[in-house]
Amino acid sequence: MTQPTHLNCKDCVDRLGDFVDRELSTEEVAAVERHLEECFGCAREFRFEGAVLESIKVTLRRVQAPASLLEKIRRSLDS
Amino acid sequence: MAKASGNSTGEFERQLTKVLDQAYGTALRLTGTAADAEDLVQDAALLAHRGFPGFQAGSNFRAWFYRILLNRFYSNYRRQRRAGVSVDLDETPELYLYQQAAASGVTPDSDTATALVDRLDSELVQRALDALPEEFRTVATLYFMQDLPYQEIADMLDVPIGTVRSRLHRARRMLQKALWEVAAERGIVGAP
Repeated sequence: MTQPTHLNCKDCVDRLGDFVDRELSTEEVAAVERHLEECFGCAREFRFEGAVLESIKVTLRRVQAPASLLEKIRRSLDS
Repeated sequence: MAKASGNSTGEFERQLTKVLDQAYGTALRLTGTAADAEDLVQDAALLAHRGFPGFQAGSNFRAWFYRILLNRFYSNYRRQRRAGVSVDLDETPELYLYQQAAASGVTPDSDTATALVDRLDSELVQRALDALPEEFRTVATLYFMQDLPYQEIADMLDVPIGTVRSRLHRARRMLQKALWEVAAERGIVGAP
């Protein structure tokens, strides 16, 4: 992606996914953040998107391997 | 580069223990049942242990183990998509949930985003995830279950980073649509 210094709303939303995933370059992060400081609508959209993704992560990650699993694996490695 | 050496089984168990919870969680989301998830992780662990003498010491054990786990999943545990949500996912726009929330009269801020997902338990979020085509579901599962950079997901799936980026961006839009439909089906939000 090109490295603009000034983004419009479409440019900014195009970078939404990479921004929330911390996959943008430092320069692009700065350009997105500048836009978000100036644009209430985009800032609200980004906050909403970030909160949705975080909530999905938290919900799906509510799981822990059964305590017996490591022991089962150890036994199968020994056999 | 040096191969794994020393007390190989001890070192293998040390490395495996560090990734076991996340691997089990990922296996559960991929297979859909606790029994299959346990079997998948156990199978992958056995295969990985066999191959561990060839593992390059100091390289990324997690990525290596997940490649084995995913290959095992594809060869033995691939399942029929469970009946449930069926979503036309092709043309899902960016910010789908935001737009739906706004259109239904909800103020779309971070609190309402959190509240919406919180009202869906993990089973319902899993159902929405299941609605995705497999190549999107796999990349989304790796993404949501762990905080991995695109490159590491690409290494695990053995696909280019650009493929991960495009699949993940589409998968997230699809998932938002599927979540909204699950929420509507359960009366949590207005019908679509």
